[in-house]
Parts: sequence; C-alpha cells; structure tokens
Amino acid sequence: MKRFSSIAALTALLLTAAACGDDSSSTEPVDGVPRAIISLSPTATEMLFAIGAGDQVIAIDEYSNYPAEALEKPHDLSGFEPNVEAIAALEPDLVIMQDNKIQEQLESLGIAVWVGPAAASFDDVYAQIEQLGAATGHIGEAAELVGSMQSDIAAAVAAVPTGAAELTYYHELDPTLYSVTSSSFIGEVYGLFGLVNIADDAQPGNNYPQLNPEFIVEANPTLIFLADTKCCGETPETVAARPGWDAIAAVQNGGVIAMDDDLASRWGPRIVDYITAVSAAVAAAAVEA
Amino acid sequence: MLAGRRISNRWWLLAALALLVGAVALGAMVGPAGGIRSANWHIIWNIRLPRVVLAGIVGAMLSLAGASYQGVFRNPLVDPYLLGAAAGAGLGATLVFAYGRSGTIDWPIDPLPLAAFVGALAAVMVTYSVGASFGGTGLTLVLAGVAVAALCTAVQQFVLLRNSDVIEEVYSWISGRLSTATWSDVRLVLPYVLLASAVLLVHRRHLDVLRVGDEEAATLGADVRRVRLVVVIAATLGTAAVVSVSGLIGFVGIMVPHLVRLVFSSSYRWVLPMSIVVGAAFLILADVPGRAFEQGGETPIGVVTAFLGAPMFIIILRSKRKLT
Amino acid sequence: MSSIGFECLNVLYGDREAVYAFTDQVRPGEWLCLIGPNGAGKSSVLRAIAGLVPHRGTITVDGATLAARSPRRRAALVAYVPQAPLMPDDMTGTEYVLLGRNPYISYFGGETKHDRALVADVLQRLDLHEFASRRLGTLSGGERQRLVIARAVAQEAPILLLDEPTSALDIGHQQQALELVDRLRREHGLTVVSAMHDLTLAGLYADRLALLHQGHVVASGDAAHVLRPETLSEFYGVSVSVHHEPDGTVVVVPRRAPVT
Repeated sequence: MKRFSSIAALTALLLTAAACGDDSSSTEPVDGVPRAIISLSPTATEMLFAIGAGDQVIAIDEYSNYPAEALEKPHDLSGFEPNVEAIAALEPDLVIMQDNKIQEQLESLGIAVWVGPAAASFDDVYAQIEQLGAATGHIGEAAELVGSMQSDIAAAVAAVPTGAAELTYYHELDPTLYSVTSSSFIGEVYGLFGLVNIADDAQPGNNYPQLNPEFIVEANPTLIFLADTKCCGETPETVAARPGWDAIAAVQNGGVIAMDDDLASRWGPRIVDYITAVSAAVAAAAVEA
Repeated sequence: MLAGRRISNRWWLLAALALLVGAVALGAMVGPAGGIRSANWHIIWNIRLPRVVLAGIVGAMLSLAGASYQGVFRNPLVDPYLLGAAAGAGLGATLVFAYGRSGTIDWPIDPLPLAAFVGALAAVMVTYSVGASFGGTGLTLVLAGVAVAALCTAVQQFVLLRNSDVIEEVYSWISGRLSTATWSDVRLVLPYVLLASAVLLVHRRHLDVLRVGDEEAATLGADVRRVRLVVVIAATLGTAAVVSVSGLIGFVGIMVPHLVRLVFSSSYRWVLPMSIVVGAAFLILADVPGRAFEQGGETPIGVVTAFLGAPMFIIILRSKRKLT
Repeated sequence: MSSIGFECLNVLYGDREAVYAFTDQVRPGEWLCLIGPNGAGKSSVLRAIAGLVPHRGTITVDGATLAARSPRRRAALVAYVPQAPLMPDDMTGTEYVLLGRNPYISYFGGETKHDRALVADVLQRLDLHEFASRRLGTLSGGERQRLVIARAVAQEAPILLLDEPTSALDIGHQQQALELVDRLRREHGLTVVSAMHDLTLAGLYADRLALLHQGHVVASGDAAHVLRPETLSEFYGVSVSVHHEPDGTVVVVPRRAPVT
C-alpha cells in the first residue's frame, strides 16, 4: 500500500506554519524546511543522510544503524511498536515511517508525516529518494544521488560478461530456508544480471516460500546468497556442512556468498553496494562455468 | 438483612466508581509527554485521552461480555472469545494484511477493523447455527465454538505460511494494542458498546435465574433459549466492536468478573455493572506501565494483561480452595 | 385448588417408551404419590407436567391444556422440586427463594417490594429466616431441601411436584420435609404429585398411590389397596411383609429368607 505523498507532507508543513497560533508546540519549521525530523525507518535514515539531510534529523529508530553519524542521534525509538506520545513529545516537524499505523494520530497533532513502505521496484527507490529530497529541501542532492546510483548500477551490470545469464541462484532469508521469488524487490536485483531463481516455481502465488532442502539440492543452484549472516550466523562453511548440500554446484565452486542482512533487506542507497557484490559473485561464477 | 446487604453493595459500587475516576485521572496525567500543562495539551487531548477512554471502553466491554458469557454458559472458565469471536477476528485481520492492502487503498474506511468485526460476528454465527442444530445446549455451543475456532486458526496459519512477510504485523495485531487509539476509534465503537451493554444489563436478572441450570430455570418460567441467544448476540456484538479496534486483548474478560465475585457478590445483578466499572479501571491502569515508562516504544497491552493474568488466576484458585 | 388431568400421556425417550397411555385424574387438593421400581416412569410423568420432556397425550390443569401455556404461565401453575436440585454454593438463601418469584416479574423488570416481602414471609413460616443471608454452600442437606420447598412455595403455584424429595435425607429430615409439605398443602390448598421410593412414607402421607411398572399403571388406590405383598413381589421383585397399624398406617417391611 503506497500512501506516501510529498505534496501532502509539504502542505501539512505549510498549514502547520500557518495554523499554530496559540499552542506553543514548535512544529512550525523556520523556512518550510523541516529541522526536527524523526526517522522510524532504517532505509529512510540511510537515504536522509545520503542526501545531506542528516543534521535535520533529531532522532531515529532502534534499527537504524547506518551511517555512523546517525548513531550519534538518540536511537531508541521503536518503529514497530511506536509510542506516539514519546514521539510527539520530542516535538518533531516531520516523522518518516514505513507504515501508516500512527499516521492519523500524528496528523491530528499537526505533525507532518511521510510514509515510505518497502520498495517493490527500482522506480520506487528513486521516487522515494526524490520525495525525501523535496520534503527536506535537498532536491539537488537527491537528484545527484539517484543519478550516481543509476550509473553505478549500470556499471556493475556491465562488468559481468555476457553469457553469465541463465546461472541459477538461491537467496536464503533465514536458516529455516525461507526464500524469495524473482517478483520480490531483491529478486529484481538478481534479475538485472539475468539470474534464474530456483524458488520461482516452488509455491506458485507465494513470494516468500519456505523451501525444502531436497528441493534446493535437486535444483542445484550455481550461486547461493546468504542474507542470514548477521542475524543467524550462517556462513559458507556452515552451509557446506549441511547434510547433502556438498553436492550443490554453488558449494563446490565457492558460489556461496555471505551478504549483509541489512543490505539485503533495505532499499536505500546502499543497494548499490549489494549489487556490486552480486556482480562480483556472478563474474566469478561465470568464469567457473 | 436483605436491605443491609444491598446497602453495602451500593457502597462498593460507589467505591468502584471512585476507583474508575482515579484511574482516568492517573491515566491522563502520566505519559512520556509529561503531566498536563497547556504546553502539551494538544498531545494529551489528541493522543493520550482517546487512549485512556478507549482503554476504559474496551476493558468495560470485555469484562461485561465475559461475565455475561460466564452466566449464560454457567462456566467460570469462559471468556468473551469463547464462541470463536477471537479466531474469526484474527482470520479477518490476517486476510486483510495478506491480501487486502493493495486493493483497498482508495476505500474511505479502513478495511482492517471492518474485517475483524465481520470475522468475529461470522464465526459466532456459524458456531451458533452448528451448535443449535445439535441441540443448542450450553455444551454443544461451546464445542461448536471450539471447532469453529480451530478451523479459523487453521486457515489463518495456512494464509500466513503463504504470506510470511506479514507474520510480524499479524502477530502485533493479535497481541492487542491501544497504541493507535484516536477519537474516531472511540466514536466507531461507542454505539455498539452502548447497545450491547444496555441489552446485557437488562438481562442480568435472567442470568441469576439461569444459575440453577437450564431445566430448573425453565420450570421457573425462564425462556432459556431466548435468553441465551440474546445474551450471546449482544455480548458478541460488543466484543467484535472492541476487538476490531484494539486487537485481541486477553485475560480481562475472564479475570475481572472473577475478581468482582471474589470481593463483592456472585449475583449477576451486581456482577454485570461492577464488571463494567472495574473492567474499565483495570484496563486503564494496566495500560499505564506499557506506555508511560518506556521512552522509546511501548509494550502492547495484551502482553501486560497476560503478565497479570497468571498471578491473578493463582489468587482466584487459592480463594476458591478456602471456600470448599 | 386445582385439579390435574392426564389423558393417554405418552413419554418417549428416543424409541424407548418411558410412560405409556397414562390416564388419571387428580382431584383438587389431593396428594397422589407415584411409586414403582427404577425406570418405571415416575420421574418422566413429573417431568412431562413440568414441561421438561416432550410428550404425547394431554395434561390438563383445571380442564385447560397445560402444553398450550407459555413457560411463565406454566411456572405460575406448577412448581417443580427436582430430585437433585442445582444449588449454587455462593447464592444466599434469600436470592434462591426469590428465584421462585420469576414467573411474576416482568421480563425487563425487577422484584417488587411485594416479592421481597413474600419471600421474607415464606422464610419465616418455614423456619428458614436464619438462612436468609447464608450461602447455600454452608448449609446441610436438610436445610437445603427446605429451601427448595420454600422456593416452590414462593412460586405461589397451586400444583406442587416432588421428585424423590426424601432420598438424600436422614430419617428425621425426611419426616420434617414431608410434614412440611403436608402442612403447606392444607394451608394453601395445594395439589401434590410426588414420586417416592420409600413405600411406607408414601402410604403415610399420600391420599392415593399409583404403582407404575415399565410405563404402565398396574395398581391405583389407597395404601391398603396398593401395598400388598403379592403386588409388590410381582412388580418390585421383592419379598416383603405388610403390616396394618391400628391407626390405619400401612407398614412395608422387607423380609429375609432364614439363613441356613
């Protein structure tokens, strides 16, 4: 559900500026640009700092951990079980969230709200960055960021020799073998390289199927991407040690790649880093093949 | 002697009302934004007060529904979710989380509370018709409720397995929450709660008659089937309404009536009104620690009531041991 | 005072016929006691009058069919004292007896002063006023039995049904309960139909006995007529001797064959 609208955010900001006559809440921004932003979305936090809006941020949620400067801000808010009163008591003028659970309550206080749900495509990612740029007065930096992301991604894709298409892969979300199909956002990332996802036909209609180990071994993927390294301690070694998995091509040819959980689950500027890592892995695997 | 007992019960009712007033005052004064000042009045009015009021309404309705169900099924272990209301609401919410978000963006009303409400009512209706077709006694209804709840839960699990990305949201909703309370939520549930409460209060004398069992009650002139049907409908309506905005808050509906019986009287003409007042005060107070003392986030109310549930049950057990 | 008429009363549980073509006429103010072995159908007749089991045939009170009445109207005509009444432990005596006023309280209403005064009066007359505020769980079997009878009296119904009123009581309380019922019968002009196991007591208090066997009436009349050794031996399968006291009391005494 996409309910973000920068127009609404800006309008709210202006209305707030106009209407806050007698209550002494300081939600009126100085020049239409919010200076007291609270981010409850780790991805949005990364985007904000990347477009130069970092010093306009006054607090972030407990899972926002990048960049390092972000951790200098108070970072114990919960994005999952938000305490509206606590958030409002910090007197923000813009609250950025991943879902609209508390949107109504914040708006009733005249606090501007921007909702950026998980991206379903690259267009979503660029659109969110641009909207944040507009909302925080960093339109230029946002456009620059989008441009550099697009060229970096294009470069990473070009770095892989043709003929690498048709390699198969398995993306692991957790040690109980939950995976994603190519219709998911991360699936689209792999799709840039023409990789084929073994989970696509596992459970038609389910974009997050839990796979059966026999199925994986039989599908024999060339590449295995582990997105459960930080949460659950999985490594290429632990994967190779799983009974029966040593028969998989990816295991035999060094095609089990440990990725960063955060990079795999966010859709911010660092998706470029993720894509670069995938590019290297694909290039190496193409050489092997 | 009869007159004397009535006076002392009235006194207790007044004390309970005073407790409720105190709870509301405490709830209004405590929170991360601080005490009541003109500076934070807009936060108090828009965020804190609707939550306190909603907590009161939800606590009152769940306790009243629980007490009514206990009366009509003559079973102290019964809670307002007995006939499948909880499982139905959970299934409705799960379906919305899994399939309903994208298709309903442009709807003027939020599909989530609607689905929960409809789910709860539908489940109880199925339970009632199945139970009635097998005799309609208290026991068959309870058993039908177990079956319907099991079915709803199974479907819900199946849906979640195929849509595991919404598991967190569903779990959060099921735990029960008051954190998203707004005045519009209060306006939404109030008509149902008022109607349900009025109907239930009017029937409290009948619940006392039912205490001697279906058969003897019938020989005393009670229309057992009709009383049971009306009470079930009213209690379910009120429960479905509050569940739709606050999720599944557990333990209140079963604990508060027991507490009331322990301290005041077992007669339903007192248990029902007392449960309303005590239930409201209880949930308002139970909501305070989860939201007022954590600065960054909060503990969902369902978790707090669950924590309180276990020791309370033990207290009730011990008191029952003394009586026998 | 009211009369009860039975016309071909049939009570079926599934396909088992518990009562077959029971026809009788109980005069106003009469005490009819149903006797018979277990499963003879005694309780079923009472439950049919109380409206607790479906039946075929007609039961009339003062000539009017009982089944046509609403539950409230029936409760104002017939008071039923079950064999094992459910007595909630934490109900008080007054609350319990007050339940008997249910047929007279409107659906949406509550008890009136008259109802409460009547209950207090009943408790007084039945010597139960000290139990008014006591919880039922703290009372003995005999005291509870008297409270059930008090509840039936509070119903102000002209017909009183008693299902095994003495089975759970000791001999002293048995006499007490039956004396109480007889006194109430005479004071209020009640018509009583009871089911009892104790044959001597049945003969002592009832005006008329009806012996039921497998749903059929096999003997009906006063105690001397019904309580005969050969009759009892045939239908109870018991060996007894029957003694007639000078005052007319019929005493049934079980007999043992001498042990060799």
